[in-house]
Amino acid sequence: MLSPLLIALAVGPADGARIYEKLCASCHGTAGQGSKTHDEPLVGDWSIDKLARYIEKNMPEDAPGTCGGAEARRVARYIHEAFYSPQAQARNRPPRLDLARLTVGQYRNAIADLMATFMPPPEVDRRQGLRGEYFNEKEIRAALAEGSRVRERLEAGVALTSETPPVPEVTADNYAIRWSGSLFAPETGPYELVVESDNGTRLWINGERLIDAWVRSGDQRVHRGTVMLLAGRSYPLRLEVFKQKKEPSVAIALRWKAPHHVEEAIPVRHLSPVRSPEVMIVQTAFPADDRSMGFERGTSVSKAWEEATTAAALEVTGYVLAQIPKLAGVTLDAPDARQTLSQFGLRVAERAFRRPLTPAQQEFFVARHFADGNDVEFALKKSLLLVLKSPRFLYREVGAPESDAYDVASRLSFTVWDSVPDQELLDSAATGRLLEEIAPQIDRMLADPRAHAKVRQFFHRWLAVDHLEDLPKDRALFPHFDEAVVSDLRTSLDLFLDEVIWSEASDFRQLLLADFVYLNGRLSGLYAANLAADASFQRVSSGIGGRAGILTHPLLMAGFAYDATTSPIHRGLFVARSLLGRRFRPPPDAVAPLSPALHPRMTTRERVALQTRPEICQGCHATINPLGFAFEHFDAVGRFRRAEEGKPIDASGWYATRAGQRVRFNGPRELGRSLARSEETQAAFIEQLFHFMVKQPILAHGVDHPETLRREFVQDGYSVRKLLVQIAATAASTKGATP
Amino acid sequence: MTTRRDLLRGIGCAATPFLTGLAFASPGQARKQRLIVMFSPNGIVPSTFWPDEVGETFTLKTILEPLAPFRDRTLILRGVSNKMAGDGDGHMRGMGCLLTGIELFRGNLQGGSMTPAGWAKGPSIDQQLKNFLQSRPETRTRFGSLEFGVQVGDRADVWTRMVYGGPNSPIAPISDPYQMLNKLYGRAKDQRALTSILDDVRADLAAVGSRLGVEDRRLLEEHATFVREMERQMQVTPEGPTPDLPTGVKSRNEDLPRASRMQIDLMVNALANDFARVATLQYTRSVGQARMTWIGVDRAHHDLSHKSEKDAQAQADLTKINRWFCGELAYLVKSLAETREPGSDRSLLDGTTVVWANELGQGNHTRDNIPFVLVGGGLGFRTGRSLHYQRVPHNRLLLSLAHGFGHHIERFGNPEMCVDGPLADLT
Repeated sequence: MLSPLLIALAVGPADGARIYEKLCASCHGTAGQGSKTHDEPLVGDWSIDKLARYIEKNMPEDAPGTCGGAEARRVARYIHEAFYSPQAQARNRPPRLDLARLTVGQYRNAIADLMATFMPPPEVDRRQGLRGEYFNEKEIRAALAEGSRVRERLEAGVALTSETPPVPEVTADNYAIRWSGSLFAPETGPYELVVESDNGTRLWINGERLIDAWVRSGDQRVHRGTVMLLAGRSYPLRLEVFKQKKEPSVAIALRWKAPHHVEEAIPVRHLSPVRSPEVMIVQTAFPADDRSMGFERGTSVSKAWEEATTAAALEVTGYVLAQIPKLAGVTLDAPDARQTLSQFGLRVAERAFRRPLTPAQQEFFVARHFADGNDVEFALKKSLLLVLKSPRFLYREVGAPESDAYDVASRLSFTVWDSVPDQELLDSAATGRLLEEIAPQIDRMLADPRAHAKVRQFFHRWLAVDHLEDLPKDRALFPHFDEAVVSDLRTSLDLFLDEVIWSEASDFRQLLLADFVYLNGRLSGLYAANLAADASFQRVSSGIGGRAGILTHPLLMAGFAYDATTSPIHRGLFVARSLLGRRFRPPPDAVAPLSPALHPRMTTRERVALQTRPEICQGCHATINPLGFAFEHFDAVGRFRRAEEGKPIDASGWYATRAGQRVRFNGPRELGRSLARSEETQAAFIEQLFHFMVKQPILAHGVDHPETLRREFVQDGYSVRKLLVQIAATAASTKGATP
Repeated sequence: MTTRRDLLRGIGCAATPFLTGLAFASPGQARKQRLIVMFSPNGIVPSTFWPDEVGETFTLKTILEPLAPFRDRTLILRGVSNKMAGDGDGHMRGMGCLLTGIELFRGNLQGGSMTPAGWAKGPSIDQQLKNFLQSRPETRTRFGSLEFGVQVGDRADVWTRMVYGGPNSPIAPISDPYQMLNKLYGRAKDQRALTSILDDVRADLAAVGSRLGVEDRRLLEEHATFVREMERQMQVTPEGPTPDLPTGVKSRNEDLPRASRMQIDLMVNALANDFARVATLQYTRSVGQARMTWIGVDRAHHDLSHKSEKDAQAQADLTKINRWFCGELAYLVKSLAETREPGSDRSLLDGTTVVWANELGQGNHTRDNIPFVLVGGGLGFRTGRSLHYQRVPHNRLLLSLAHGFGHHIERFGNPEMCVDGPLADLT
């Protein structure tokens, strides 16, 4: 029997295209692009089944219910395949590799590494802590010159209070101590260094005298200084104190306040007893990069950006000119200054452009400025400014007419480090070996702390903890949940991520399956573990509820929660977006959550279900809520609980795969096991990691690229590290912005 | 065109500072007022310094003789004492309390005697006045104040700092003329370098853009429009030419006279450009050990200052040293007198009061009779006089400086030293 629809159409076999044209195109446009009355394009990530059900129930708007059953399915399939699905979108408008300038982070890293070329290479030393040196006089430099240091040893940190000399070798009335080495910055941002002392003291970080209290004066005991540091790098540190004979004791402590953390003793894992070279950190403020696609992109320029590149070029030039002897190995009044500085300018240009210069370019950027008769210092200034303002420095891979091995080297280094290639990469490109040794090169690069810092930054963003500033919680309900706890939870999460990702297996599934959490003494009390009050961070798995890796990490549980109650919607949205790759439109109205006070004796689950019951909500919340309910065993600070409002917790839920299959689970461990097997989760993770690392659309590297990477990921045993190698290798070998 | 280098090489001749980027004041504009404090250390020789007479008729003795051409613009104040008690020895309190008028904190700096001390407990008068002037739009300048030094030495302690932003906040003077030049004119030099490469930047953008596809080229074309905008802006607001300094002046003892003249020239230049209304010029430091070989004095200044008053050779050398400092003061005053206040028919000296000060009265560590000499018309004091007070606290002079700017504070520093208000009969 023919359906009424087909009779109405009065045509032969009703294919989806015909149905769409008749019933849908007037509002949605002939290719789903929208119309004056319905301007939202018809694109999304629902499955065909879900589309069909929706059409059956709601479409056409003026006559819902008239397109059902097989017709609904046919039109849904047509829409899905013609323009709706991400694959169809990619096919219709293939994303391209856009020309991109350096992002702000890449600019800062590039300058730091450019200048590092001219510094002594860092010493490698795996020991942790600082080098402590003791002197029987106040003037340390003089004592070192005389060789009259009386004691040297490795120390874990600086926290000393003593009325007698701290080591027996110190016998003088006036004596001094120096601690030196390096400070490692795990994140980019401002670091506040704090020195507390009863004596005269001073502190240098990265060559800058951050604290000068060599003159003790009045009651000042606590000295603070703030310095901006880039992640994944070590910075020279030196702290000195002297005890004047009339002072009763020596007392000194060194602490820091790292970004997102509270003031605390610097953990010994961030200290090294060898001195790193100074790092040039550009202070010029840049406008923030576009993040509308979910990752920073340098695909637009603005007046503010252009002005910032000028200010930064002047800043870098000023830095170089102020220390020409140190960087270029020559003084301005030396007889060979012109020759040497011209060579120096050429090396800067080569490093900045990430490739050798042609003879014409050597002349244009460097040589002509150094012509006889020109002021040498001014020549260097002009040459540096021209190089730093050149698109060959400011943009990615525009230096050569044809893409070549140097472009490959650049793509590798920007993908893995967000910075310019190092000498080893450039050498490999120069000899033409780079393509054949690409995997070992990436392995080498991944071992660099800058790579670890970038990957950690990805995880912070993927897990949506990068913008959690403070987590205020109800003081009456959670009196012990304070800033220090949040700081420790961040450390706990980082320790977990580092352990999983940089272990031999580097098994992605462990992120969703691990049954332990890193806790220390302070966290132990709050999360019902059984550690001593001063215990350092260690794995804890018993007594803390059934945990499932990052899914139930207390920092995420607390982050996706209100100040007193949980928020299944935020938790569900996190899983749907970050782990299943779903996209949602914003809610039609800004809605405040129902107040628990107005709904006594209801559980959070019941209130959320009540509030999102309307049909208009269910399009999204039917997906979001059941995912979020899985976590109801974990309260607003991520502690385990068995009941709410006297009712046992119901942590059951489900989600539908894109293929339309319903996956049921009870609690986060079952959810974690499902996700760990889920191709959608693998694809979502790969896409987001790819975008963060490469900063270009994954589909621009080929419509099949996501699936290829996913299959390799599974074959490689879900190794995140091997995935990073694959991502870097494919990004590097895809040709970029050329005609 | 005459360059700055030519002018600075002409030190000793009449070197009118070359004025750059002058703003022309409108006729009815309020008179600009400026304060310069010049410091030299270790006290003076009373017998060759203080005039015998009081009042308008007096004779300048050996040390002050270089001021003879400006005798009518000069005011000599005898009997003003730095009476600060508390921690620190004479040099330390002499220096740290000279412009702050307040005691030193307890601390870990041990002087030659007395208890150890730290920094001063309050701001210095120049910084107080800088903040006052910067708080009002009509007297606000780019820097507010400039702190010049001449061979102060690379140490930070109470002997090397007389300027304080507040309690425990000493401000370091800049002893390197090249560093000061860069602070004052670095921006102009940057602009000159930038202007000279802008054509090349655009050519480079076009060369790279020509290899790109249409969509990508658009980005570079947009970039190029911003470069053109910058160029237009720089044409609208050009910076003046940059003064040139003689090269090779270092922190060696024998370079002290050349550094002194460079700093004075830069200071007068900066004031003429209205970069600041307050400036300090600090020669060496308290306990400074300059060896003035260029005037035939081989022994170090502080060592000499402790010789007996009966040691005629030492007193003659000390007189020479202080006379040399006075000569630098005279050069500063002369430069100010020969530089026209932009937009007026007055000289810079008409709008400037220069205060010459010392941390001691003489080498025996007394802080009585601090040798204060004031030159110029900036604060409206009646000059051409030698005055003699009876051990009045120097806070009252500091108050007078503030009142001269119309900043009518009742106390500055230790309030007990301020009860009688500004010094009588300065105006």
